[in-house]
Amino acid sequence: MIKNIMLAGVGGQGLVLATKIIAEVAFRAGYDVKTNDVIGLSQRGGRVWGSVRFGEKIHSPNIPPKEGDILLGLEPLESYRWSYLMKDGGYIILNNKEDYPTPVLLEQEKYPVEEIEALKDNYNVITINAVEEAKKAGNIKAANTIMLGVMAKYLDIDSKIWEEVLRENVPKKAIDANISAFYRGYNNQP
Amino acid sequence: MKRVLTGNQAIAQGFYEAGGLVAASYPGSPTVEIMETLKGYKGIYAEFSTNEKVALEVAIGGSLYGARSMASMKHVGVNIAADPLLTFTQTQINGGFVLVTGDDPGMASSQNEQDNRIIGKFANMGIFYPGSSQEAKDYMKIALDLSERFHTPMMLNITSRVCHSRGLVEIEERVEHKPGGFKRDQEKYCMLPPYTFKAQYFMKERIKKLEEYAYHAPFNILEEVEGSDTLIVTSGLMYYNLKELNLPISIYKLGMVYPISTKRMKELAEKYEKIVVIEEMMPFIENEIKLMGIDCTGKEYFSFTGEIHTEDIEEALYKMGIIENRRYSAVEAVETVSRPPMFCAGCPHRPVFDILKKLNVTVIGDIGCYSMAVLPAFKAAHVSLSMGATLGVTKGMNKAMRLNEDKKPIVSVIGDGTFFHSGLPGFVNLLHQLDEEDNMTFIVLDNRTTAMTGGQHNASSGRFNREDDMDIDIKEVLKTFGIENVKEVDQFKYRETREAIRAATKEKGISVIITTRPCSLKYKIKEPHYYVDPNVCIGCRTCVKLNCPPIRMAKYDGIEDLKSFIDPDKCVGCSVCAQTCPVGAIKRSE
Repeated sequence: MIKNIMLAGVGGQGLVLATKIIAEVAFRAGYDVKTNDVIGLSQRGGRVWGSVRFGEKIHSPNIPPKEGDILLGLEPLESYRWSYLMKDGGYIILNNKEDYPTPVLLEQEKYPVEEIEALKDNYNVITINAVEEAKKAGNIKAANTIMLGVMAKYLDIDSKIWEEVLRENVPKKAIDANISAFYRGYNNQP
Repeated sequence: MKRVLTGNQAIAQGFYEAGGLVAASYPGSPTVEIMETLKGYKGIYAEFSTNEKVALEVAIGGSLYGARSMASMKHVGVNIAADPLLTFTQTQINGGFVLVTGDDPGMASSQNEQDNRIIGKFANMGIFYPGSSQEAKDYMKIALDLSERFHTPMMLNITSRVCHSRGLVEIEERVEHKPGGFKRDQEKYCMLPPYTFKAQYFMKERIKKLEEYAYHAPFNILEEVEGSDTLIVTSGLMYYNLKELNLPISIYKLGMVYPISTKRMKELAEKYEKIVVIEEMMPFIENEIKLMGIDCTGKEYFSFTGEIHTEDIEEALYKMGIIENRRYSAVEAVETVSRPPMFCAGCPHRPVFDILKKLNVTVIGDIGCYSMAVLPAFKAAHVSLSMGATLGVTKGMNKAMRLNEDKKPIVSVIGDGTFFHSGLPGFVNLLHQLDEEDNMTFIVLDNRTTAMTGGQHNASSGRFNREDDMDIDIKEVLKTFGIENVKEVDQFKYRETREAIRAATKEKGISVIITTRPCSLKYKIKEPHYYVDPNVCIGCRTCVKLNCPPIRMAKYDGIEDLKSFIDPDKCVGCSVCAQTCPVGAIKRSE
């Protein structure tokens, strides 16, 4: 069995680190793993995406069309943009904090609220106010960790492995907030 | 022991394990991370040089001394380094030498899509083409070995996808490789006639020997399937994308894509009815096979541009009649609002391009974050080509304008990284045949870092970071050249900057304006945020047009019309919007 996880977000949100953490967790759980991420304009508000594939043997890091199991959507529009790669009935874990792109800021186009809402028709959408949850966990920057916690429930990998990898990959000062954020997502499923 | 590494990290690890000693680079996506990783290893000298040519020369120096050496750069960087490369390759390599080049099929972050396998062949080098992190490490080590064994520089050509992809990599111990020292031998190292005459024969013989070696080389792998009458020849990531399909078809996977063993290919051509080549970008392997007089199919079915995915391979094989069923049906990508990159909150480039846009002058751009001035929000740069090109292009266009009696001003912009990379000769050249009727304005956007690639140091970043040792004053450099009219402005003083630029465009001769604000991202600048008083705001959208991430029109309770709003979490307090607001509706929070 291969698990295909897609990540979608906006440059500067920490998507590359989230991709790295998921890959490291899968590796320590004994799987072969490959990832993708797009770097280049990643800190300048452009669209960014990543993918993690793990299983017994992984050839290509690319998720083939309609084979995505889980979409970790750090931003609604970006989740919608990449939803076409998902299996029907796949899980979309959606951070509902909207980040407006230039055409919306300049009032040239509308943010696609209805289309995002309609994702529920084809997929299992789990909506989270990750920023609010992260504030409650003690660090606004731990929003992605809340999301990872929610996702971890769907992956059948020991939460201790997640904890271990988080400890090694977040800034020292923020370890406690991140562990707390992870379990906040993991234990309080929306 | 295994670890999860990116292709870039794996290349660095391979160089380390192979006893590499001297490594140099110029930052360019997708290869930046290689040198950043190498800087963390003990026992290796690693640097970001001023440009790719200098980086290559630093590595050449190491190799001449017998030290295992490498240079890494993005694909277009090799164009800058091509001069030393195409002569150095004539010498008999001493310490193992590998040039790592990052190609960018699909141009995720590049100005063109050139296929550097062509340059590798042109330079008479062997070319390795990894498709995974493990291969990236393995091929780096093999390439260093072969470089010494065949006295040839080697190319490690990796695509952006593989640079940034992660996979499991077996970690091994470093094996030290003590350099033998430089042994004076003019025939080998002084590339002047008549030594160059001999060198041509040496290179021809060298590639021939490498080709013979390729016949049985362990990194060119033949996977034969009983009953398959088709052979697919492929390399790199295309092999892994193909493997996803799990087809009963024989595969010849080339770890080294140049030179290809003619003997091997002729044997395979005898055995198989049909040969299909799968490769991204140019038909390189396909042409090599065709030059051997062997028929094969490739680009007829595969795109010459962009990336090739598993589903594209399946579709092509289906169209060729090689497979009868398809697993993947075409899916339409979601068409929705685009998200172009933008200048960061507090970016010092924003006021400069807002001013240029409003002055409506022709702007010759260059390469860096400020290339984003081309994007629709500003459209304030009208030419963008290659590193440092703005200087020569501006001068040439200005001369043509003079001959045509066109008196309009022309403005050129260049960043500090690009200034040191390749701007210096262009600035010197401005002084040649200077006509007093010329009217050229040059804006040097000195943000004290090479920002676009993630904030690497350059020759002017020492002012803010002591570890970035160099702090060369651009103003003094230009004055030393003999360029007199050089002004420094703080571009967060909007009106002053606008007046300085406006005055420069009206003034004849060469005017240089150096903007002094550092990169807000690199230097983590965060001042108290600004906010909009909706009762004062007239909804004119002057601030929105600055295209700053926190600023948009929003609905306020009890106010009918939309008014400007600043997201306090994103604002870093640069004050530019407040200065451009015609009614003073934007205020500092504390």
